[in-house]
Parts: sequence; C-alpha cells; structure tokens
Amino acid sequence: MKQKSRSFAAADVLFILGMLAPIAFAIILKVLFIPASDDIEITGAYIFFTLKLPLFDLPITEAQINSWCVIISIFFLCLYLTHGLTAKVNTRRQHLAEWIVEKTSKLVADNMGEYFKSFAPFICAILGLSAFSSLMSLTGLFPPTSDINVIAGWSILVFILISYYKMKCGPLHYLKSFGEPVPFLAPLNVISEVATPVSMTFRHYGNILSGTVISVLIAAALQGVSSMLLGWLPGVIGEIPFLQIGLPAVLSVYFDVFSGCLQAFIFAMLTMLYVAGAFPAETYKAKKERRKQTANSK
Amino acid sequence: MQSLEIISVNLWQILISLCNLILLFLILKKFLYKPVLKVLAERKAAVDKQYENAKAAEDEANEMKKEWTDKMSDADKKAESVIKEAVANAQKRSEAILTQTQEQADRIIAQAQTDAKLERKKAQADIKKEIVDVSAVLSQKMLEREINTDDHRALIDSFIDKIGEDDEADE
Repeated sequence: MKQKSRSFAAADVLFILGMLAPIAFAIILKVLFIPASDDIEITGAYIFFTLKLPLFDLPITEAQINSWCVIISIFFLCLYLTHGLTAKVNTRRQHLAEWIVEKTSKLVADNMGEYFKSFAPFICAILGLSAFSSLMSLTGLFPPTSDINVIAGWSILVFILISYYKMKCGPLHYLKSFGEPVPFLAPLNVISEVATPVSMTFRHYGNILSGTVISVLIAAALQGVSSMLLGWLPGVIGEIPFLQIGLPAVLSVYFDVFSGCLQAFIFAMLTMLYVAGAFPAETYKAKKERRKQTANSK
Repeated sequence: MQSLEIISVNLWQILISLCNLILLFLILKKFLYKPVLKVLAERKAAVDKQYENAKAAEDEANEMKKEWTDKMSDADKKAESVIKEAVANAQKRSEAILTQTQEQADRIIAQAQTDAKLERKKAQADIKKEIVDVSAVLSQKMLEREINTDDHRALIDSFIDKIGEDDEADE
C-alpha cells in the first residue's frame, strides 16, 4: 500500500515536472538565444533556424516552439488531472477534471445542440491552447497567439469544419446556398464565406498583439517620464524607473490575462456558432429520413 | 539573429499550427475526456443502481403493506361474519326454545283441560249416581213403597240428564 502510494506520488511529481519543464525550457531558450535590446522594438517571433522546404522555407520560430511547449504542458496537465481517477473517491484534481469536462460539454451542448456533442474536446482544445498561449506572455515569453500564422492555422481548420458541415447535405445544396436569397448576390456570399476565417484570425491575433504593443509602448514611455522627472536624484537611484512600478502590472492583468482569456472564449464561441450555424440540421434530417424510407421500400 | 516581420504569412507555419490544434484535440479527447467520461458513466451507473435498489425495496414494502391491509380487512370481515353467524345461531336457538316451550305449555294446558274435563265427567257421573241413589232412597222413603227399582232409576236418570244438559248448556 505504501509502496503503491509512493509510486503514485512519484508519478504526480513527474507529471507536474512535465507541466513546468516546457515553460522552463522556453524561458532558457529565450535567455540563451535572444539578445535583449534596450530599444523599443516591436517585431514578430524570433527565428531560431530555418528549414529548407519546397514552396516555402520553414522558419522555426519562438511561436512554434512555444506552441509545442503549451501542448506538452497541457498533455501533462491532462495526465495529472486524470491520474488516480475513481468513481467513488473524489480528490480536488478529479473535481477540476470533471468540472472542465462538464462545463465544456454543457457549453457545446447549449450552443451547438446535441448533434455536435463530440465537439466538446475540440472546443476545449481551442480554449486551452488559445488561453494558455496568450497567458505565456505572463512569463515574459513570446505568446504564440500574437503570431498571425498560428491563429490563421486554427481559423482555417474552423473554416474547413464549416465547409464540411455545409456540404453534409451534398455539394449541390452547398453551392445553392451561395445563391440565396437572390443569385446575383453570390459574389458577396463568397466574400462573406472567406471573410469568416480572416476576421476570426485578425480579431484574435490583433487583440493579443495590440496588447503586447501597448504594453511595450507604455513601459517605454514610463521609463522616459521617470528619467525626466526623477533623473535629478543622485547616483543609481536616479536611474531606477520608479514609475514603471504599478501601471504595467495593471495593464498586464488586462491585456495578458483578461484579453487573452476573453479572446480564447470569443474564438471558441465563434467556432461553435459558425459550425453549428453552417449545419442545416433540418434539411439533413429530412434527407436522412427520405433515404431511410427509400431503403425501407427496397 | 533575426525576427519575423510583425505580419508575415508562411504556409508551413499555418499548417503546423493547424496540426497543433488537431493534435491537442486528440490529446484532450484521449487523455482527459475519455477517462473522465468513463468515470462519470461509472458513477452514473452506480447511482442508477442504487436508485433501482431503493425502488425495488419500496415496491416490496408497498406490496407487503397491501398484503397486510388485505389480510386485516379479511380478518375484519371474518370477525363480522362470525359474529353475525353467532347472533343468527343464538336467535334461531332462542326461537326454537321458545317454540318448544310454547308447545310444551300448550300441551300441558291441553292435557290439563282434558284431565279437568275427564275429572268433571267422572264427577258428574259420580254425582249423578249419588243423586240417583239418594233420590231413590228419598223417594222410597217418601212414597213408602217399593217401586220398581229399575223403573225408578230410569226415571231419575232421564230427569238428571235433563238437568245435566241444562248445566252443560249453561257452561
């Protein structure tokens, strides 16, 4: 019994280490490779190295590395939460795991209907990946969500899902949906169709990036104001930017924590609404019924 | 030592990000949702079973209650019928006894009447004989002569019969 509990604890420690190690790894990578600059510089992700691939070169950047770190962290978090799951004994982590599963399932069921019940893990994945990626900026790392390519990948996946569910009733029905309410509006319909993933991408990416940009600008401005107002103080004291204490932290709470979680939630909500809205449930049902009837008559 | 531009679109990166999301979806499905849903289903099954057990116990109790109620009402009915029967029996018996007694009384009265009648008749006959005898003696004494006893007796008999008839008519 004691042996068992010891191995249980060892596994727990391993999982927690697995959660923290990727973040630590990313921080170490950043410290080792990325030069600190005093200038106000707003750039994209740092490129570690570039792979030569057909069509495009693939630069392996901070965004990629950090994304993978988040995924590995979440993977170990799942292992930790579901470790020692039982039907009777309730631990705190089991409550958390069940809370996550039930909440997301309920959210999906409420917004998308019973048909899309299997979407719960997908929505949870969007929420988790987006939120944790944005929250990465709290550790001083580059948040992957402020890289347009990352969000674009997600949006395109959502677009594929939307199109897939629109095509559920056959390609003809899908094409016909562009000619509504009047056929000559078809170009507008195509544009609005394409605009969906584009708007989703820019909304999310823009919010996180703008948060970073504003944070950097304000921090720099505060430093300037500080040296201007308090620069007359003698020696080292004059060089400490006192005004940088306080305000950036408050802004960080808004831009990193609040905005990051909010954007994750918005992205998940939009995914649910678009996918559920794309699926013509009644037509599909009618078609299925007709098919069943023909099968029966045969 | 270089960074990407702020907006730089790269198809491979987009693809990688897309695959990342799918990968995380699969991870969550396999490592979070599957075990948790399994546990939830197990718990639900256990709870359902408990409810079923409770329901079964309740049904049983209800059945027993019904049975007992039936039995009680049966017993009540039985007691009632027993009492009724007993009352009926008693009534019947009392009636029988009454009838019997009445009959007996009637019989006794009738007997008594018959007896009385016989007595009376006997007494009448005796008296008649006495009177005849007496009157015979008397008349013999009065007439001072011996009349034919037989004639005499017949005469007086007829006379007394007449009286007797009158008597009887009086009665």
